[in-house]
Amino acid sequence: MTAAGTPERAGVSLSGLVVLAALAAAVATLIIVAVGGHRPASLAQQVQQIAAGLHCPICKDLPVADSPAPLAQQMRQEIVQKLRAGESADQIRAGFVAAYGDSVLMSPPRQGVAGTVYYLPLLVLAAGLITAFTLLRRWLRARPHDPPGAGSPQLSQRQRHAVARAISRLREEEPG
Amino acid sequence: MRQRTARRRAQLLAGVVAAVAVIVAFLVTGLGRDPSVIASPLVGRAAPNFTLAQLNGPPVTLSRLRGQVVVINFWASWCAECHVEQEALDRAWQQFQDSGVVVIGVNFEDTTGAARSYVRTADVRYPVVEDPASHTALAYGLRGVPETFVVNQSGRIVAHVIGAVSASALASEINSALIASAR
Repeated sequence: MTAAGTPERAGVSLSGLVVLAALAAAVATLIIVAVGGHRPASLAQQVQQIAAGLHCPICKDLPVADSPAPLAQQMRQEIVQKLRAGESADQIRAGFVAAYGDSVLMSPPRQGVAGTVYYLPLLVLAAGLITAFTLLRRWLRARPHDPPGAGSPQLSQRQRHAVARAISRLREEEPG
Repeated sequence: MRQRTARRRAQLLAGVVAAVAVIVAFLVTGLGRDPSVIASPLVGRAAPNFTLAQLNGPPVTLSRLRGQVVVINFWASWCAECHVEQEALDRAWQQFQDSGVVVIGVNFEDTTGAARSYVRTADVRYPVVEDPASHTALAYGLRGVPETFVVNQSGRIVAHVIGAVSASALASEINSALIASAR
């Protein structure tokens, strides 16, 4: 414990306090933005949100939210009643799934046979990549390690002289 | 070397055959299904309870009928197929009433006046209830009318028929429920 150490430590703790204060201010700002920025959805918005995720059972590719069918209207009414009764969106969705099955969801869960629709393309891609990699590796292994220049034909001394003579003759014949 | 090549070819051929077999199996399974038949997730589960006002009589509560086989038929006066199956439902009511079987007609997306008029004209003898907000219809995953559910004595749904039910099919389902509960 030295005399010089005290102000140093005091300086460190002061800067630490400043950092802490800045962090606290940032967290407070985030909380205010998170709480104040997202007002709770109105009943109509909640109904719209849930109905948009449900498939109208008697329509073709139409969510309950957009369907004019009487059954879809009754489903929307049912959602209103359940929300007023205090059920959560997940509970309401689960209720419809219990009665109609997963097909009532606009995005059915990626499980079982239906899941293969999502994962099959990825599996095919993975199989293709593995096959390509295996074939490429096999091809590279099968190819002999050629020394540099091995691709050019081997010439005898006599042939090299003949080629050199031909080249010099051609150069002499070139104009200029 | 030749043996190795032959083995590779055989493996490749086996792979292709296996892939084709899988695709064919998928196609055969899919094409063999009747697209109009939608398996109800409710079959095998407890029938959703309801208390609904009867057109001509006191309210009907399903849970109070526990211990009896119950036929729940969703119908509407404007539904032509419902008229077609009326005879089958009447026959089931007459034939199995003494065996403790109850038939309940649940009126769907209809007016009370039209429903009453139909019940009077068609001389429907079994209890007919109204489901004004379609709450019960939605709980049963109804897609349209007619649809018929058979509930066993334990309160579980054992059969679901979409479209007009025939007398023989309905009798068969009721008999199965009665026999199963007698065991």
